[in-house]
Amino acid sequence: MLAIVFVATCALPAAAQAPTYSKDVAPLVADRCGVCHHPGGSAPFSLLTYADVKQRATQIASVTRSRIMPPWKADPSNGPFLGQHPLSDSEIAMLSRWVEQGAPEGDAAQLPPPRVYTEGWQLGKPDVIVTLPKAFTLPAEGTDVFRIFALPIPIAQARFVRGLEFRPGNPKVVHHANIRVDPTSESRRLDDQDPRPGYDGLLARTAVYPDGHFLGWTPGQVAPLLPPDLAWRLDRRTDLVVELHMQPSGKPEQVAPSIGFYFGDDVSSDAAHGGPSRTPSMLRLGRQNIDIAAGDAQYVVTDSYVLPVDVEVQAVQPHAHYRLREARGDATLPDGTTRPLIGIADWDFRWQHVYRFVNPVRLPKGTRLSMRYAYDNSSANPRNPQQPPARARWGQRSSDEMGDLWVQVLTRDDADLERLNRDFRPKVAAEDVQGYEVEIEKHPGDAGLHDDAAMLYLELGRAQPAIAHFEASLKLKPDTAAAHYNLGTALTVARRLNEAGAQYREALRIDPSYAAAHNNLGSVYLADGRFDAAIHEFTEVARLQPESPVGWKNLAAAYAMAGQFDRAVEAADAALRLKPAEPLASEIRSQREKYSKQLR
Amino acid sequence: MLLLPLLAVLVQTLSGASVDPLDAPAGTKAIVFLFTSTECPISNRYAPEVRRLTETYRAKGVVFRLIYPNPAETPAAIREHMAAFGYAGAAEAFRDPALALAKFAGATVTPEAAVYAGGKLMYRGRIDNRYVELGVERPAATQRDLADALASVLAGKAVAAATTQAVGCFIADFSR
Repeated sequence: MLAIVFVATCALPAAAQAPTYSKDVAPLVADRCGVCHHPGGSAPFSLLTYADVKQRATQIASVTRSRIMPPWKADPSNGPFLGQHPLSDSEIAMLSRWVEQGAPEGDAAQLPPPRVYTEGWQLGKPDVIVTLPKAFTLPAEGTDVFRIFALPIPIAQARFVRGLEFRPGNPKVVHHANIRVDPTSESRRLDDQDPRPGYDGLLARTAVYPDGHFLGWTPGQVAPLLPPDLAWRLDRRTDLVVELHMQPSGKPEQVAPSIGFYFGDDVSSDAAHGGPSRTPSMLRLGRQNIDIAAGDAQYVVTDSYVLPVDVEVQAVQPHAHYRLREARGDATLPDGTTRPLIGIADWDFRWQHVYRFVNPVRLPKGTRLSMRYAYDNSSANPRNPQQPPARARWGQRSSDEMGDLWVQVLTRDDADLERLNRDFRPKVAAEDVQGYEVEIEKHPGDAGLHDDAAMLYLELGRAQPAIAHFEASLKLKPDTAAAHYNLGTALTVARRLNEAGAQYREALRIDPSYAAAHNNLGSVYLADGRFDAAIHEFTEVARLQPESPVGWKNLAAAYAMAGQFDRAVEAADAALRLKPAEPLASEIRSQREKYSKQLR
Repeated sequence: MLLLPLLAVLVQTLSGASVDPLDAPAGTKAIVFLFTSTECPISNRYAPEVRRLTETYRAKGVVFRLIYPNPAETPAAIREHMAAFGYAGAAEAFRDPALALAKFAGATVTPEAAVYAGGKLMYRGRIDNRYVELGVERPAATQRDLADALASVLAGKAVAAATTQAVGCFIADFSR
């Protein structure tokens, strides 16, 4: 009897000793919360002192119990992922016990040594900082506000980029950032059309991830710098496109985030340093035919793709809007074993993390990547943006629904990368075209949508729907050279050469200096055996674009077909003087050789 | 046995005077105490909705009183807060540093409303159901509990849901 009592009292101190701030809470909070909750950090308030923590003690116990904090939605057992700091059940229980017992400070002598957090830029001083020239004024009210900004990147020459760091500027309201680059002026045009900083709406189709790389920010996440051989090329006159997701604070707020760029080797010293040698590939599983009936609480989207080459998965990012409840991504290896890649049991649109594996996941050729997303479009889903629930279809607006799983992979070498991209590209185009058909159904008067859809159909080798969309676009903007030209290209692909020629001629009537139309019209004449007419068109191309080797090359081919080999050689020489890139240069050289043989 | 009358619960004006929060001008049909805090993000996000409610109900004889229970929030900080969030002129502000009114009304979080009519508590709880719990938010409220409660009180009817669970920052934390 005595012995039992003795054992019991002996065991008591560890279990029953009241946790204190100094001994138990401070080290835990510093380790798991301080990363964001420090002065100048990405969280809206700091949690470094007893005063900071005790005045939020009940809240801390509550949000850790419900696992809202630290914000980590994915099943940690599928990682480890970078930046994963989950709390264990016993740590959460300790926090609750501490609060129930009055949140005592304890003996300050037991405090851990103060943690030093990097102030300001976490990756060090950036090489270039891009910020909004003028702050955006976020209105006082609204649940989720989205705004897209196009910002010039001031670089004097092309650079290789090893990393980007996003600083929210106003962490109270900036919740996450979607970041892209736009090599065209399209995003800037949309931004300029709106007199206030940024614009509302959708990311332009030309705003893209740089080859195979994720950009973007959620609080607490800083993507580490890439190794130099994985850096991506940033050309001059590329705009940075930042879509901010903000949550209004109750009063108007000024928002001006900054983005720091970290460069690798200069592009000009590419040869000396070897330059980046590896490019990842971005695979995207998902559906654009999503169509969820009002009230459907169990709508499932699945997709899969079998890898044609060996890969290493670097990172994954699930993307959906408000109605998704559960997201899963798996890899099923050729031997039948399943390697789960991501599992989110309680999807929250607010936490759009990129999950980066600490150890890349090696998957052999023949592995099936699959995704399964379950949506709840009933009124029982509190996050449902439409109450009462309404039919939800695919679309990029947050009131529409999406379901993508992005998978970033590295291949063994460039040959495998090309095989993978060639194999994968039609799958994405087929999905994208479905999304466009949905958008066009909603906005039939948008010529740009018809044009984009037609281009995708051409990529898929489907000339008929491409012609139909370009015809629709032409009806919407009848007097534009580009619309006639576009229709001409689709008709050319369909081998309806007479009609194609008529469209090119119409484009040229509107804009006689339209070099691409001269070029394609030349091709049509050539196919028809009308050599003189073809030579005339290609001469126009060479005159309008004397710096383009392709124009001269086509002119050379036309002369050759007409039997004028001396002129063919001259035109080929003109093309070669422009120092075209490979493999075009070799192609022109071998053509020139053929022509000159005919001369002898 | 000597029975003392109940002592009035007192709150402080921003100039430091102790007053009875249930004292109201003649003709007042209801008083809404809205527990708030200068720092609580959830109560701050409700500022535009609170202003709309005050505008709608002031003319109907409803007095809105902002109650700041955090003893660390000084009158100067409260004045600044009221200016920033557009409360100045829309509602009166009182401090409740000893949590006297919070305890009396049973308020535990900010933002939380307590509606009194004829000296009796008619409704206590959330403004609406936009927040389901900390971290789970509806894109828009589907139930406007405080407005519904005021409509019932003004119509002389009992409030259907006399108490609801408010979601926000815990008042208990303020006095630690």
